Amino acid sequence: MSASLHLDLLNDDERFSSSPIRLRVMVPLMGFLLVIGTLFGWSFLAFQAHALSTQKTTVETDITGLKSAHAEILRLRQQEKEMAASLKQLAFYRSSQLKFGASLARLPEVVPANVQFTEMRVPTPPPFMPDPKTPNLGPTNTFESVSLRLAGKAGGDRPTDAVNGLLKALDNNPAFSNLIHHAEIPKGAFRQDTARGAVNRDTLLFEINCTCQPRRFQ
Amino acid sequence: MKSESFTAKLTPQRKPFTDIVGLELGAGLAQGVPAVRLRKRDNKTELVAAGFLTLPGSLPESADTGASEAVIWHLPGPFQAAHAALAVNSKHAFIRHSASAGDDLPEKKQIAYRQTSRVIAPDLPPLLAGLPEFQAAWAARLLPEGHRPTACSLQIAAAAAMSGLIAAPTFAAASGNAIALFVFAEYTALAAFQETKLVLYREHPVGARHLRDAIGAQMGIDVSLADSVLDDTLIDPTPIIEPVLRPLFRQVEISSDYLLRRRNCPVKHFFVCGLNAGARYWSAIFTRMMSQPLTPCQPFDGIEPAVTGTHVPKDLSTVAPLLMAAAGAARAVLEDV
Repeated sequence: MSASLHLDLLNDDERFSSSPIRLRVMVPLMGFLLVIGTLFGWSFLAFQAHALSTQKTTVETDITGLKSAHAEILRLRQQEKEMAASLKQLAFYRSSQLKFGASLARLPEVVPANVQFTEMRVPTPPPFMPDPKTPNLGPTNTFESVSLRLAGKAGGDRPTDAVNGLLKALDNNPAFSNLIHHAEIPKGAFRQDTARGAVNRDTLLFEINCTCQPRRFQ
Repeated sequence: MKSESFTAKLTPQRKPFTDIVGLELGAGLAQGVPAVRLRKRDNKTELVAAGFLTLPGSLPESADTGASEAVIWHLPGPFQAAHAALAVNSKHAFIRHSASAGDDLPEKKQIAYRQTSRVIAPDLPPLLAGLPEFQAAWAARLLPEGHRPTACSLQIAAAAAMSGLIAAPTFAAASGNAIALFVFAEYTALAAFQETKLVLYREHPVGARHLRDAIGAQMGIDVSLADSVLDDTLIDPTPIIEPVLRPLFRQVEISSDYLLRRRNCPVKHFFVCGLNAGARYWSAIFTRMMSQPLTPCQPFDGIEPAVTGTHVPKDLSTVAPLLMAAAGAARAVLEDV
């Protein structure tokens, strides 16, 4: 209850906002714009999907066309790889060569006159057994022991001294240090020659095993 | 009941209005449409703009013209408040205390009416106000959506004028019972207040135009010069206007007696509003008849000029009474919390 005489005859549906932004206009407008925006968004996505599909087809066609060329390139690359490995291995072999010539040329200087070589042999090293599970295109072994086996006879007055002098010369002479690391006479390898009767009882047979510098395949 | 309270919770609470332009429709003034813009700031009401606007269209007198005339009003810048309170001055409008919904009113048998009521005192029937639907709908369409201002209130001009008087400090200071006369062009509304509650409302078919017509006819001058005669001291128009005012003041006397006998409330104060000319003659005749002073009341009583400046006519003090209903309509909305 109020003493106010404000008797308002205006209906609720006749009350409007003076703001130029009208809710009952803006809400449908925003709804319409939302629908348009959604449609545009979906259209854009559909267009993108179609463009990507077309691009995929083109790429697949290109891949199909390039498949034989690609296989050829792969084959050539594999071949090149194998050849490069072979060349590399050959280079390793070249660098692992031991120069016997210069040392052997100076061998007569240290061989006494009463010593005669009957055999000079470089034994073949034991073969390398590769692991079949991990095949390797490169050198199968980067290190190989080399030995030089000398066999001969020594006669004269003091054949033992002649052989020992030879052994010492092979072991210490700088002319052989590039080739021979160590020289020794295996046990039982120094004996009398009994093959030709008593005349030759003063002749000694000997064997010298020289451990050479190893071959390094690097 | 539950759904009603739920709906009420969902309905946004209306904020109190703070900037209102009051417009009086159908005032029939040559100056234009009375308009008053009031603003509430720091619990004080201030005057921003006042004047008479030249706006198209006039209040329709029938449903046919009301439906066919689509008039749009655009107010000048100083009057573009956020909202507008419209006071309709119509000869078809009514205000009365009524216990029923007013369906038995003779006016309603002829045309469709829009009406509203308000309980203003526990010992009185609700105060009922009605306006023809075609006039109410026409007025509600005047101010379009999206432009300042839009209508927030539609009132009967006499009720708006009474609201303006109730808010005036002069009226508030006069404690007790009072009778106020609201002079319009075509009629004078007579309202009796017990404290500030309206207990009696009558309309008397004598208005400012009738006085001017009488002066013009008897003095042989143009009606437009009647106001200058009423303000001039050279000619005493009392013999001319007294026969016109006497029946009105007789009604005041009868109403005063009625209040004394029926409600045991002797009337001590008499106010007159809406007089822009001849107030002293009204007072003199009234005092002679009633042995009581008739106090003129200004519509801008208690309203301060806006700090930011006001847009008012130079002769505001002279034309202010004519802005009574417009100011009252705006004030009714601002004060109705």
